[in-house]
Amino acid sequence: MRLTALLSMAARVVAPKDYRYGTNRPWTEAAKRMNPPGKRRKKVFVEPIEAEDWAILKGDMVEILAGKDKGKQGKVIQVFRRRNWVILEGLNTHFRYVGKVKDYRGTYVASEAPLLLRDVALVDPSDRKPTQIEWKYTEEGERVRVSSRTGRIIPKPVVERRDGIVPLQWKDGPKDTSPEDALEKTYVPSLKTLEEEVMEKLGIQEHRRHQKSYWY
Amino acid sequence: MASSSSLGRVLTLCKRFQSVFRISPAISVQHCAVNLKRCQNNLLSFVGQRRALHTTVSRRGLEEFFDQPENWGEPNVKSGAPWTAKQLRTKSNEDLHKLWYVLLKERNMLLTLAQEAKRQSLQMPSPERMKKIERSMVRLDTVVRERETALRLLQTGQEKGRPGDWRRNVFGYEYWYRFKEYTIPWYMNKRHERKKFYTPHFVQPHIRLRIERFLRERARKVNLKRKTLAKLKERFPQMKLPSS
Repeated sequence: MRLTALLSMAARVVAPKDYRYGTNRPWTEAAKRMNPPGKRRKKVFVEPIEAEDWAILKGDMVEILAGKDKGKQGKVIQVFRRRNWVILEGLNTHFRYVGKVKDYRGTYVASEAPLLLRDVALVDPSDRKPTQIEWKYTEEGERVRVSSRTGRIIPKPVVERRDGIVPLQWKDGPKDTSPEDALEKTYVPSLKTLEEEVMEKLGIQEHRRHQKSYWY
Repeated sequence: MASSSSLGRVLTLCKRFQSVFRISPAISVQHCAVNLKRCQNNLLSFVGQRRALHTTVSRRGLEEFFDQPENWGEPNVKSGAPWTAKQLRTKSNEDLHKLWYVLLKERNMLLTLAQEAKRQSLQMPSPERMKKIERSMVRLDTVVRERETALRLLQTGQEKGRPGDWRRNVFGYEYWYRFKEYTIPWYMNKRHERKKFYTPHFVQPHIRLRIERFLRERARKVNLKRKTLAKLKERFPQMKLPSS
């Protein structure tokens, strides 16, 4: 047990208390370059937003209200809840060189900078203008986002699963259990342990008796 | 909308369970037992082979360490969702026992594949399968442990399977000491006598200093929280006070 704990400790990334989290994950090289071990940076104050009040989800259409690309609409690619950031596809970009090697300056690539939540607003699908959102309950009891200007419900964007499976279009492979088999109930509660039941079913007889041992 | 999506999910989720090992009335207990005896007879006739290799209906060799031939060389292999604990709880003990070995063999196959890919410096096709198998096995283990704990609580009233006790160590910490199994009783065990489950008197000042340090740290945390809240209020006057 202790060896596995040690190994998991080594695998986990420990960040200091005043670590400044950026767009790169802490275990990547870029993050290590931006946060070398001895650096101290000023603390970042993030406006606290309750988890249930969070309105902008990944895949939403959103308009920028302030900044370089003011007035443009784009799709949300990534959301950073801890820093109130959203990254839009192809908007608010700056240019940088990627993959620099000696004697080769690298590829000139447009990379998106994160936008604060304050500077973006969800787009109302009916008139395609930015609106403020309220969370309200429908007749069925479902919690939905309602635009305060027009009163239209803004549906949640369809996010595909991380493993890429689309449930309604799935076809079973040779190693997959069919849904009927997976949902079949075969459990009959009894006062036997798994070992006893399996031994009974396989006809294994244990004739050895336990030697007296001491636990302390 | 929520109900239809969940229905869709229920109908189309697929799990890892090789059809060969499907538990059905056709494969009865006697069939398995007969196979076992047959295996033993075959093997005992050879000198030097003592152990029965397997007792399943299908008898295959090292091919089980490799994927099916049609998946060889493909960059992506499709795989379904892992088993959830809710589904595993509806299965009988015998089913779980068989499923464990099916998952184990699949895991061995994936590990062989990963090792071979590492050896040839290539990327393993669909590495998410390993995580799915691992999670399924962990959930299976959890379900079996739950059943064991329930039975133990009923029969003995004990929650833990392994005996233990709250003991105090030399440094003044109270911790859960898990008993070990020995062949000789405690009064005959010389090494066990040297273990100290008490705190000597001279450790008391150090414990007091430790308590003081803990109280100071707690006070610092509370102060920090209060100060950050004040600073946040100053910067974002319209913010709502966080519930935590």
